[in-house]
Amino acid sequence: MSLVEARGLTKIFRRPEKDPGLRGALKHLVQRRFKDFRAVDGIDLSIEAGESVAYVGPNGAGKSTTIKLLTGILVPTAGTVSVAGLNPNADRVANARNIGVLFGQRTQLWWDLPVRESLDLLRDMYDLSPAFYKQRLERLDAVLGLGELLPVMSRKLSLGQRMRADLAAALLHQPKIVYLDEPTIGLDIAVKDRVREFLRELRADGTTLMLTTHDLGDIEDVCERIVIIDEGRKIFDGPLAEMKDRFARVRRMHLQLAEVTPLEKLAERLPEVEIVGGESPTEVTITFDRFRYTAGLVIAAVLDVVEVGELHLDEPAIEDVVRKVYAGELLR
Amino acid sequence: MKPYLGLLRMSARRVLAYRMSSVILWIGGATFLAGSLAVWHALLADGDIGGYDWDRMKAYLLVGWATGALGSAYGDWWMANRILDGHVATDLTKPLDYQWARFSEHMGGLATEFIAIAVAATAVMALTDGLPLPGPGQALLFVLSFLMVAPLKFAIAYITTMVCFWTQNFMGVSWAKDAIVTLFSGALIPLALLPAWLAGPASVLPFASITATPAAIFLEQATGWEALRLLAVQAAWVVALWWGARLIWRRALRALTVHGG
Repeated sequence: MSLVEARGLTKIFRRPEKDPGLRGALKHLVQRRFKDFRAVDGIDLSIEAGESVAYVGPNGAGKSTTIKLLTGILVPTAGTVSVAGLNPNADRVANARNIGVLFGQRTQLWWDLPVRESLDLLRDMYDLSPAFYKQRLERLDAVLGLGELLPVMSRKLSLGQRMRADLAAALLHQPKIVYLDEPTIGLDIAVKDRVREFLRELRADGTTLMLTTHDLGDIEDVCERIVIIDEGRKIFDGPLAEMKDRFARVRRMHLQLAEVTPLEKLAERLPEVEIVGGESPTEVTITFDRFRYTAGLVIAAVLDVVEVGELHLDEPAIEDVVRKVYAGELLR
Repeated sequence: MKPYLGLLRMSARRVLAYRMSSVILWIGGATFLAGSLAVWHALLADGDIGGYDWDRMKAYLLVGWATGALGSAYGDWWMANRILDGHVATDLTKPLDYQWARFSEHMGGLATEFIAIAVAATAVMALTDGLPLPGPGQALLFVLSFLMVAPLKFAIAYITTMVCFWTQNFMGVSWAKDAIVTLFSGALIPLALLPAWLAGPASVLPFASITATPAAIFLEQATGWEALRLLAVQAAWVVALWWGARLIWRRALRALTVHGG
């Protein structure tokens, strides 16, 4: 049996149906109408120990709801979940000892007290020995720079600092399974890099990782496997490399040319690519299939024709892939 | 046990972190106490009302105020907001019993309240020529019944906040609860002064155990077996509401919706 095993997992919320405006609100008081909303709809999922899984989908696809079902916060409407042999809802307290959870949009730190106090409390909650606690703090200091945050009142932390402290709080007890719900939301590049580095180390330690994100970078840096869901249903589950080969073939290169150049001259050298002019006459965007061309080949071809000033490359974004999936371009 | 003591300590420290707010809270509380003393002083100038003379009414008002103040720093709003803003989700990922955890926080929130109550009691005694104090045995019974108010008020607040799982809003629920508790506990006026149709429900509801019981013991209206009977009723309500809360909690979890990711 897998470490995390979900079968036919379903969560239905009841939503009030109101007509717009004050009239609608008053009418709803008298005549209450509700509509069932299937946030998660029959999801099967197996995660093996040591795997790192990205859980991806557009806003409202059911990602967070799934995480809350797997962590025992929500009671499933139908289906079963087993995490390390426990039912996370019925055995919530026992399950909580095995898992670490981070909700990027919420903090578990005590707002009005120094970070250190929140961590001390977690030490007591998970019954960590003083030696183990000290060793964990040192380790978390090394990778997250936790030391400088310890004496600071949580509400005075910047978002990046807050996320680092929250990650430390979620991982203090060295959980077997870690669920991260948008761990890099709102972070600047430097902090993002640091967080990803930390997640890579976690994975190397053998921790099982499941994260939801909108950021392709998180996934590429940290996960081998990607699960895409939409409207509560699973629509892709497989290795990241496979998904990229199949659905993220297109790269886009933006060039600032040294002089105005007819696009046809470039097209002669680069068959089967799409070349479009930009806002100014010297700007050009070249879209190419990464299985036919490398970025190097494209640049070499352009340089044969004209000098290039600036360039940058758009990597396929997870949103693009997901969007394609919805458009029906992905049919398994 | 350790994590719950930890929560209690943290909650106490949180209350202490907002000294200014606490001071303002207590100034407001003191004003209310002084006001009700002044009103009753005027009312009782022409003689006793319902068996209360000025001395006994003073004691009653002080006990009523103290039992009302108990548990107001870490109030039901803290618990309700954690449900409404979704922080309940993080609380549920911790290896703790939810109800015991909230109870520990509630008890930690009492940190400043005992001090404030002691200050208020001393002030009332000093400024109004003393209070009729119970004998040592009766005083012990009073302390027991006063301490019982803390878990009792917690259970009532905890059950009330759980209504948020269904209503998604706490304002109306909180006002309704405050009104009912103030009236039926005897905090507004002694239950003996209520008309029969209100005194009836008051005597069978748990709220009388919050104010009327400690006051009756303090004023030696209930002594001996009668005092012990009232203490037993208080304890029974604590146990009944504690387990009732657990039943409601199980249903509430099924209604839990965590909004916004």
